Amino acid sequence: MSVWFALAWPSSLRRIVARFSVAALIWLLSDFAGVLPTFAQSKKSSTSAVTCGTCHVGVATSYSHAPMRHAMESPGANPALETHPNLSVQMGQYFYTVQTKDGKSTYTVSDGKDSLTLPIRWIFGQHSQTWVLEKDGHLYESLVSYFPRDNGLATTPGDQKITPHNLIEAMGRRLQPWETRSCFNCHATDAVAGDQLTLDHLRPGLDCERCHVGAQQHMADAENDNFKTLPKSLKRMDSESISNFCGECHRSWDAVIRNHWHGPAFVRFQPYRLQNSKCFSGNDPRISCLACHNPHQPANRNDVSYDSKCLACHSAAKASHASTARVCTVSKNNCVSCHMPKVELPGGHTSFTDHQIRVVKPGEAYPN
Amino acid sequence: MFFAPILQFVTKRDLILKRSTFEHVISSMAGRNCLKGFLLTFLMVGMSGLHAQEASPQFADLAARAAAARDQQNIPLAIELYTQAEQLKPDWREGWFYLGLLQYGANQFPAAIDAFNHLLQLEPSAVPAMALRGLCEFETGAYDDSLRDLEQSIAHGAANEPRNEQILRYHLAQLLVRAGRFQDALTQYKIFIEKQVDSPDVLLGLGLAGTRVRLLPKEIPETDRGLYLAAGSAGYAFLSGNSELAASIFTELFARHPTAPNLHLFYGYLLFQHDSELAINQFQSELTIAPGNIEAHAILAYTEMIAGRYAEAVPEAEHVLAAMPDMEMALIALGRSLGETGDPKHGMELLNRVLQSDPDNLEAHMGLAAIYSRAGRREDAYRERMVCLGLAK
Repeated sequence: MSVWFALAWPSSLRRIVARFSVAALIWLLSDFAGVLPTFAQSKKSSTSAVTCGTCHVGVATSYSHAPMRHAMESPGANPALETHPNLSVQMGQYFYTVQTKDGKSTYTVSDGKDSLTLPIRWIFGQHSQTWVLEKDGHLYESLVSYFPRDNGLATTPGDQKITPHNLIEAMGRRLQPWETRSCFNCHATDAVAGDQLTLDHLRPGLDCERCHVGAQQHMADAENDNFKTLPKSLKRMDSESISNFCGECHRSWDAVIRNHWHGPAFVRFQPYRLQNSKCFSGNDPRISCLACHNPHQPANRNDVSYDSKCLACHSAAKASHASTARVCTVSKNNCVSCHMPKVELPGGHTSFTDHQIRVVKPGEAYPN
Repeated sequence: MFFAPILQFVTKRDLILKRSTFEHVISSMAGRNCLKGFLLTFLMVGMSGLHAQEASPQFADLAARAAAARDQQNIPLAIELYTQAEQLKPDWREGWFYLGLLQYGANQFPAAIDAFNHLLQLEPSAVPAMALRGLCEFETGAYDDSLRDLEQSIAHGAANEPRNEQILRYHLAQLLVRAGRFQDALTQYKIFIEKQVDSPDVLLGLGLAGTRVRLLPKEIPETDRGLYLAAGSAGYAFLSGNSELAASIFTELFARHPTAPNLHLFYGYLLFQHDSELAINQFQSELTIAPGNIEAHAILAYTEMIAGRYAEAVPEAEHVLAAMPDMEMALIALGRSLGETGDPKHGMELLNRVLQSDPDNLEAHMGLAAIYSRAGRREDAYRERMVCLGLAK
């Protein structure tokens, strides 16, 4: 915290007030200091004393609890692993254990004769977790993941068809270079520079700059009272663009179609599912990702809270303006429970809300 | 199919698919039980019309002696007797087939083509004869005819039997490269890679396809073979999942052959499906070597579109279309990019133009879906998206 005060200088009342507010907030909220990108953590900190939270206190505070902020977790302070220090599972002829002790986690696979143990350095996911492991300079996606619903380990989604032939294959799926860049780029900040992985510089989770490109420059300029170099506003993007933007990580409709992916395994790619909906329109803000989700906040798990979003179109008053938006004859509340059903991923262990909004008929197959 | 038992003699060890191998197969099978098996299969496929009907005693005698000579591996005599029998009864389909087969085995390619021509006039759906004629045409240098026959016969199932598949696809792939249909050729070579066939012939052919050299492997000067073989090895490594080995081979190739055309293009093509940004780097490198390479400009524009770099794709695609106004890849890149950068009307025109000649073009439908969506044409966008879902399956 002393860093914050030592680096503040009174050239602007606005900055003083803002910094004091943030410092006070940090002092009051014990978990805040570990989450906000502070001066000491910031890559640009050698020339800048401010962070996004200096001015945008509310949103920064809120974002510290958002899932994207925790898209990657630090191994030493991982609640899921700390509370489950001895995880194990037998998968075919291989036995897996994930052990956590003194803030360090290890991943071990054994075939009964030999075993292979590697430290867990990168934890992908806040709740369900998959680990990226390093062996002999190569990166591997762990073949088993942690699923909170089961409180245990099971096959990593997408790897069900892999039949390992040796310990290394049983440990994990070797990642291609473009996969590692893609994975780290969506789960961490400053993990990729150009076409190179920069894992020594990465900060777990997504910082503001990851979406708000230009935020660093904006901060530097703001320090000199220049507020003209604002990051590009995402609010002004239309629904089609927002879907593509979110889809850079959550997978866009284009990406899914180009890869010829289909089946329930891909229900987890929400922008693609949303754009399959009859009601999706690229110029209608009522159906954009941001109409229902605030990326700076944890996802709202209360289905009823989304009713107003549906009724923004599907109510008697609104329907007259949009002839295609029919009014539900069954209910006016808890819309998503019927129209956005939960779909179990192949292999079980976790389910996702299907964002392909539709009238679900009994016995109807998963549409894709 | 009745063709299968013949080509089944091409064992995995023989996968190089050389003429000599096939000659040996044909000559060694003549007169053996396998030929009887072949004949049985041949008859079982319902080509009853191949039998000599209402045969004269003279014809029946010739046919029997021809079969006996074939059984005894007396190929010259068998060819002579089949020829005489066909003079007596020119609609004897079985005779034409054996005559063509034996002549092919004896390197008498023009005569074999003539025999298969007769059979195919009598029985246009005789796919095995079409495939064999295609192989004969390849040997005589009638490459366009060979390409047509091999492509059609494979489309009609001639390559369904695994061991037939490789000899036919290998020849087809070479001809596709020669015809400048590099994408189609690479599709054929990918089938070899899936089967882990990494013979030098396949690697060389893959290298030629990847670097877009419109020559047959046998036409490549000895001094250049190393380059294309290495390019093929890099392609093989990449397509079999070893991208790190591929990267190292390509890096070495770039260092040793800094001005060799289309090496960066090949690497970019391989990367394209996985990482459009990396692919763009390679295409840009290609264009520093060969700024006039229109195909490189086209694929760069297309990849920039895929990467969402629409503003950059527009001038690149316009540059291509100025030189090649009908190039589909550039039309799609420009159409989609204009749609995304504020000129949806022109974008739609270009994409619809693509669909007129290629109604199932996935990217054109995707582009239209995006343009309709942004325009608030909800139902049109939904329709296009559903078309895409169907095509993507």
